[in-house]
Parts: sequence; structure tokens; C-alpha cells
Amino acid sequence: MYPFEGLFSLLVLSLVLETQALTPTHHLTTTDVARLQAVLSQPFTDLKSAYYSVVGLSKLGISVADAATCRFIKSNLDPSSVESLFFAAEASQALPGCEIPVSNDTRDLLLATVSEDSTASQIHQSVSALSSLGLPLASQEVVSALKARISKEDNVLTIILALQTASRLSQQAELGEILEEIEDLAARLDDLGGVYLQFEEGLEATALFVSAAYALSDHVDMEPPLKEDQVIQLVNSIFSKKSWDSLSEAFSVASAAESLSNNRFHVPVIVSAQGPAAISHSQPFLRLQVTNVLCKPLSSASVLVESATATSSKSAILSQAPFTLRDGVFELNFMASQPASGYYQFSVAIAGDSRFVANHVELKVKVSTRVSINNMDLSVVDKDQSIGPKTTRVEYPAKAKASFMADSHQIFAMTFQLVDETTGVELTPHQTFVRLHNQKTGQEVVFVAEPDSKNLYKFELDTTERKTEFDSISGTYALYLMVGDATLENPILWNVADVVLKFLDEEAPSTIQAKTLYTPKPEIQHLFREPEKKPPTVVSNAFTALVLSPFLLLLILWFKLGANISNFTLSPSTVLFHIGHAAMLGLMYVYWTHLNMFQTLKYLAIIGSFTFLAGNRMLAQKAVKRLVDNLAAKLL
Amino acid sequence: MSNSVISVISRFLEEYASSTPNKLKVIDAYLLYIMMTGALQFLYCLLVGTFPFNSFLSGFISCVGSFILAVCLRIQINPQNKGEFLSISPERAFADFLFAHTVLHLVVINFIG
Repeated sequence: MYPFEGLFSLLVLSLVLETQALTPTHHLTTTDVARLQAVLSQPFTDLKSAYYSVVGLSKLGISVADAATCRFIKSNLDPSSVESLFFAAEASQALPGCEIPVSNDTRDLLLATVSEDSTASQIHQSVSALSSLGLPLASQEVVSALKARISKEDNVLTIILALQTASRLSQQAELGEILEEIEDLAARLDDLGGVYLQFEEGLEATALFVSAAYALSDHVDMEPPLKEDQVIQLVNSIFSKKSWDSLSEAFSVASAAESLSNNRFHVPVIVSAQGPAAISHSQPFLRLQVTNVLCKPLSSASVLVESATATSSKSAILSQAPFTLRDGVFELNFMASQPASGYYQFSVAIAGDSRFVANHVELKVKVSTRVSINNMDLSVVDKDQSIGPKTTRVEYPAKAKASFMADSHQIFAMTFQLVDETTGVELTPHQTFVRLHNQKTGQEVVFVAEPDSKNLYKFELDTTERKTEFDSISGTYALYLMVGDATLENPILWNVADVVLKFLDEEAPSTIQAKTLYTPKPEIQHLFREPEKKPPTVVSNAFTALVLSPFLLLLILWFKLGANISNFTLSPSTVLFHIGHAAMLGLMYVYWTHLNMFQTLKYLAIIGSFTFLAGNRMLAQKAVKRLVDNLAAKLL
Repeated sequence: MSNSVISVISRFLEEYASSTPNKLKVIDAYLLYIMMTGALQFLYCLLVGTFPFNSFLSGFISCVGSFILAVCLRIQINPQNKGEFLSISPERAFADFLFAHTVLHLVVINFIG
């Protein structure tokens, strides 16, 4: 019981923690927006694609002021088709100075389409066309037609079209029931891993839902029943796809982006660092881009660092520091607070508009620095400490002039300090290696230099202890110091000095063999299973004869006993029985040589039933004969 | 000691020769034949080895099975046992013997390889 309770509470806790700070993981970058624009700007072939292009581009904020487009729309318009009228009306609405001529027949056709018998798509198209063309329509009729349509067809696309239609109606109409559909539809969204929220019908349906829901909510001025996390999950779903299969898909994404940038209730905020979030002395400013989903910078926003804590020491460096807006980018001079090098966790808040969603962002910022090596001292110390150490100081990047000799009685030692170039603070980078490279044999040995409690690095080489690493090969080794770390801007590879090492028990210097890992290996010969040794044929033949010999013995015995075949009546059933029996024995032989079990069973069934019938007959006759003989014997 | 054994054996053989009906003697000869065949097969296996083990098993089981079936036939045919096998006539016993042999041989041939 208890482990399950613990697990359950852990699960709940993790869920709560996850949902607390949800920020968009997928969003459109400026290149994506440009690509979307390019897709929508493709030359159009018919009225439908013209509608998608013109209206889609207008949603992205780009107006197509083109007389040729207007002429194209007018010439491709089919006044007898509601769909054609819809495309033309909406497109002309987006083009300034483009008017579609409307006749009474057109108006009547559109008004007649508003009824319970038309599909939701037809109702939507006629209402939108009427509204765009400036013709009057009866909102209440539309509402009742929509309600009837929704109750007949309960699928997602119908309801989305109903929402879109309702947003074009008069505000006095009773849109309450249709407004409730938003919540019902939102419940039908599939939550994928807590990151995505989308309809199983796909991306287009999800994007159209977002634009329809916000269009209707803005129209009636009521906040849509979508929680902040749901909005972010919808953003993730809609903007995760960066190339679109069809013009209608691109149009739906553009619509959704526009409604999420410009509605009255929820505006998701996208915060991204410009370039890597890394600061150094040469680049002291942390630059953030704060935009809406269409990648337009939010100039009304004010960006504030709520807290910046070092990840290693958990000490707060900054609190409530504002970013300044410059050229559409928010920047903060973090180096002014003189942070030590390392990683920092920034908690950034974007304020300025109550509509902002996902306006708390966590960022990981790296502060890097340059390292310098101080007090590099090299010395050769005698093991028994009889001779004092001679210390040679070497400055980076020079090399020690004389080479150092160390044999089995001496220890070679090296000490140094690593400090931050600007602040002089001691550093402990992740990689501090000492590499000894024998130029003649190509052998290299790498050791790690460890810092002591005062952050002073020490390296000692005892030739007797380290004999095995060097394979006891004496000679001149070039000594290199390697320093590296993620937060260092200047990793160091420094040839400090040459060291001549002498080992006892030196073996003949053998050239180092390159590892034979990648050379072809000796071929494996497969040994097939040897057949078992058979005994010589003579032996088996002899024994075969021996085993068959008792048969002769049997015949002799039977002859001696006087087993008679005189009672062999030549009645048909007897003959047939014997033939059948012989056939069965013959079948056994054939089974051994040629057939398989199934075939044998088949033949056996045939021969066996024949033999059985004949044998039955024969034995019955014999039985009768026996009983008659018994009776005769009894009577006599 | 050996004297009494020899006398028992000779007495047994006499009784056997005189009081056993001919039919049963025929079957007994058959039984002897089967036993010898089985024994010789076993001898071969001991001497030369079990190389085609499945063949050896098949042959040996064939002998053993045949022996058992013949013994059953002998029991059922024996007029002295008539009381216990009222419903089974000698002809019926023989038919059963043949049928069982068919099944046995089917299995043996299958296994002999």
C-alpha cells in the first residue's frame, strides 16, 4: 500500500511541477515566417488558391495591392456557386479598392443557402460572403440553422465552421450556445505528452479551431475557456511543423498565428536568446528577443530579471534587474555585476500586457572567461632530499630553455596556479592534463594534475612508480600542459619543457605498434560436423546375416512341430486376406525407402480396410468351422 | 543342489512337450525366434557401438513389441484361459494381434530412418 501512495503523490507532484512553468518548445522563427509567406505568395491558379493566398498574406500583415489580382478574382467568379462567391468576397475584402458586383439573384442565392438543409460549410460560406459583401442577413435564422446542423453532425470541423460563422453575426444574436461549443471542442483535444494539444483530425483542424475560437471570443468579448498551459500546448502543436503540405494548411497556420498575436485575451510570448546565451568580457550583453508567435517584437513589453542564481553555489547575483530595449532586442549588461565564470539560472518575467501568456521564462546563461597560468614552477627533487630542489620558473607561452633530467633517484615536480585573467580569482577547470610525448617513438602518456586545498595545482612524476605507463622507455619527452573547460574562452596547449627520463631495467626500445584493432583478423574456417565413424561394412554385413539367422531356426522349428498348412482353404477371402497382408508388409518396405508418413497412412487405409474385410470374412469362416468341429467332437 | 535343478528342468521340458497343444508350441517357437533376434541386435550394439542409435532403438523395440504381442496372443488363445476371455474368440485375438502389429510396424519403420 505505502509504496503506491508514495508513487502516486510523486506523480502528482511531478505533474504539478511540470505544469507550473510551461513555455513554448516550438515556435516560428523569422525564416519560418518568411517560408510561410513564400508558400502563400505562390502564383495562384484558381479562385480557391487566390483566396488562400490573398487572405493568408493579409493575416501575416502583408497586403497584396494588385489590380491584376482583383481582375483575376472578378473574371473567375461564378455567381451561381456559393463557394465561388465566398472565395471572391473574402479575397476582395482583403484587397483594398476591389469591389465585387452584387446582383439580387446573388443575394437571394446566398440567403437561401442559410437553412438547416445546407451543410455547415455552405452556411459558413454564405454568411461570410453576405457579411463581406455588406448585405443584410438574419442572424437568428443563422443561429438556429447552425444549432440544427451541430446536433445532426457532431464532428470537429462542423463545429469549427459554426464558430467561424457565429463570429460574423450580429452581437445581439443569441450566441451563447455556440460559445459553449468552444469548451466542448477543447475537451476533445488530445494531450500528447503534456507538450502538444491537437485534434486527431490533424494540424489544419487544430489551427482552424484556434482562429475560430479567438474570433468568436473577441466578437462577444468573453474570454475563451482555454487555460494558459492549453494555449501553450496549442502553440507547440500548430507551430511544430515548419513546412506545409498544402496551401490550405499554410493558410490555417497563418490564420492561427494572426489570431494568437492579435486577440484580446491571450497573447503567447516567445522569448529566445539572440545567439548562444553566453557572456564574456568581450560580449558583456545578454540579448533576448521577445516576440509574439508571428516573430514581431513586443515593444510594449518590459522585461525583467526576477533572479539570477549561480547553479553551483546557488547564490543570487541579480534580483529585479530590467532589460533595456534597443533595436527591437532586449539587452542586459550582465558582466557589470561581475559574475564569476560558470553557469547561471535566469528567471525572466515579461510584463506590460495582461494578455501575455507564458511570460515567465527560465534561461541558462553561461559566463565564460579567459584563464591565465601563474607561477609555473618546474623542479627536479632528489628522493632522499639530500640535494635541494632547483626551481625554474617558466612564463606562458615560452618554453623552458634547459631540459630537465630525472632518473630513478629523482622526482620531477611541477606546480602552477590557474587564475581568471581579469579578476585574478583562482579557477579549477574541468580538464588539466599533463602530457608527455616521446618524439622518437611517438608514445604519449597523459596524467591529470590535481589542485590542493588552496587551488594550487601540483604534478609529480616518479620514474620508478610510473615505469609501466612509459613501458620503461628512456628518452626525451616533451611536456605539454592542457587546460580546457566549457566556460574558458582560451583553452591552452602549452609545451612547457623537455624532460629526459631514465628508467632502470630498460628493455630494448620497441617501436610502438599501432593497435591492431582495425586490421583484418585471421580467417575462421568453419568446421562442418564430422559424420560419426561408421563400423566397417564387413562387420555390419556379418551382423545383418547373424540377426536374420533366427528366422531359419523358426522355420525349422515350425517344420518339426508339424505346423500344418493343410487347413489352407482356397476360399476367396483367405486368398485376398493373404494378398492384402502381403501388400501391407510390402507397403512398410516402400515406406522405409520412399514414402513419408502421410502417404503411407493413405495407402495403409486403403489396403488395410480391404485386408480387414477379407480377414474378417476368413476368420469368421474359421470360427464357424471350429465351432462345428467342437460340436461334432462333443456329440461323438 | 544342481541335481534338483536339472531334474526340475527335465521334468518341465517333459511336461511341456506332452501337455502343450501344438498351436501354443508354434507360438512358442515364434517367441524364441523373436527373442533371439532381439538379443543378437543388442549384442551388436554392445560390441560395435550405437552409431545409428535410432535404428538400434527401432529394431530392438520392434522385437520387444512383437514379443509382447505374441505373448498376449498366446494367453488369449490358450484353452485353459478360456474362462477369463469369454468375449474374445481366438479369431478375434488373432485379428487384434495383426492390427497391433500393423501399428507397431508403422512406428518402427518411421523411426528406423
